[in-house]
Amino acid sequence: MTAIERALYELNEIDGYAAGQSFMHSLDPRSKALVTTLYIIAVLSFRLDSLSGILFMWIFPILFSALGGISYNRVFLKSLYVLPLILFIGMFNPVMNREPMLQAGSITVSRGWVEFISIVLRGLLAVQASLILVMTTGFQKICYGLERIGMPAIFTTQLLMVYRYLSVLLQEAASMDNARRSRGYGKRSYSPRLWGIFIGQLLIRTVARAERIHRAMLSRGFDGTVALRTRLHWTMTDTLFLIISTALFTATRLTDFSYLFNMIISRQ
Amino acid sequence: MSHHYVKFDHVSYTYPNGFKALDDVSLLITHGEKVAVIGANGAGKSTLMLHTNGLLTASEGRVVIGDIPVTRKTLPQIRRTVGLVFQNPDDQLFMPTVADDVAFGPINMKLPDDEVERRVTMALKAVGAYELKDRPGYQLSGGQKRSAAIATVLSMEPDILVMDEPSSNLDPHARRLLIRQIEEFSHTCIITTHDLAMVRELCPRTIVMAVGRIAADGPTADILADTALLDRASLL
Repeated sequence: MTAIERALYELNEIDGYAAGQSFMHSLDPRSKALVTTLYIIAVLSFRLDSLSGILFMWIFPILFSALGGISYNRVFLKSLYVLPLILFIGMFNPVMNREPMLQAGSITVSRGWVEFISIVLRGLLAVQASLILVMTTGFQKICYGLERIGMPAIFTTQLLMVYRYLSVLLQEAASMDNARRSRGYGKRSYSPRLWGIFIGQLLIRTVARAERIHRAMLSRGFDGTVALRTRLHWTMTDTLFLIISTALFTATRLTDFSYLFNMIISRQ
Repeated sequence: MSHHYVKFDHVSYTYPNGFKALDDVSLLITHGEKVAVIGANGAGKSTLMLHTNGLLTASEGRVVIGDIPVTRKTLPQIRRTVGLVFQNPDDQLFMPTVADDVAFGPINMKLPDDEVERRVTMALKAVGAYELKDRPGYQLSGGQKRSAAIATVLSMEPDILVMDEPSSNLDPHARRLLIRQIEEFSHTCIITTHDLAMVRELCPRTIVMAVGRIAADGPTADILADTALLDRASLL
């Protein structure tokens, strides 16, 4: 299986999760989107050198994936796809900030390294929360929920179209890649020139397809707004879910975990 | 319902790159007719089809659907009347699920929710794809995609159904199902195709196109028996 085909498989797998039945699946997409946003805000609002609080926030993705009937391992492994990007964001901190912060025996850990770990954790937790939202809701319902919350329809339409045609684009890329490999005589990598041709061809195909899709939409009365037939139902469970989650995030955010850890350690 | 005719009156169309795809085309298709439009690649079949729905507007001449000339102002009425099924179902199934796709047209027609749901159910059952309603379009097989694409148009309850290469990329079973679905459509049906066996089975009348012009128009049996004509039109 090539990398492109694997990506396609992963995409289908996420849609499969969204079709599941669980407590999280039964919630209104708006409540889940709001809770996810609040969670990400809470995670990002910790001080860069506050590792203990961020570590405690890890409990929520584990809890929410359990409530959604999804293996947390799957969520964690999928979140690792963005690790290179997160590492890139945080890689300069250990170099730029060498002020000593922790002493573990003879090893001194600088503030920069703590900040680096903090950035990696925040990134992973934010991605995991978003993944759980998509895997328990489905992308189209999220878009519809976001539109109902107030996101302009032009953005949700763009998001829906990008998501819908991501798989078609991947299929076309996979076909082109197969055609290249079938005549590649074992050569595995692309030359820079071939990359250029490949991406250019893909772009031309994408534009041609976009034109055909637009025609298909116009022929069925499209006037600039994509209306979904999905109807959302906000229930008391959604209100409770939102209130309890917000309370837990706030409590976690306001608790001084380093003080608590020190207290526990000093009692022992 | 006799006013649901399709009339091309000396229609010509030139693409922006200068290619003349239609050259002085005149034809009349009356209500309830099943007409095949055949021709080699580049003969102008798809361009002709796009004119019926107002997706392209004639450079010269005019297209009239029923009593309504195809103009920018009449497009909403035209698109309610003429349902277009595109060659590649992936172009037609752009919504998250099959049911959303089938509902797309009726919602744009501003129909009430219960009527939208009734039409979605009716259209999906008509093509035998009701059980696919919650599936994403891209996960379907070729035949299922084709059925769903037809349902997206049937839900608009068009008076005229126009299909571009409907049997392309279908296996024999899916093709047979498609032929049954088209047979059951009681209104006007225009099919552009290379599938001459399907033409013989479905359409009493055939129009042959070559280099943007109508090369022949007549009973299917006569047209398909004229090997010299088919050869000239690069269909043999």
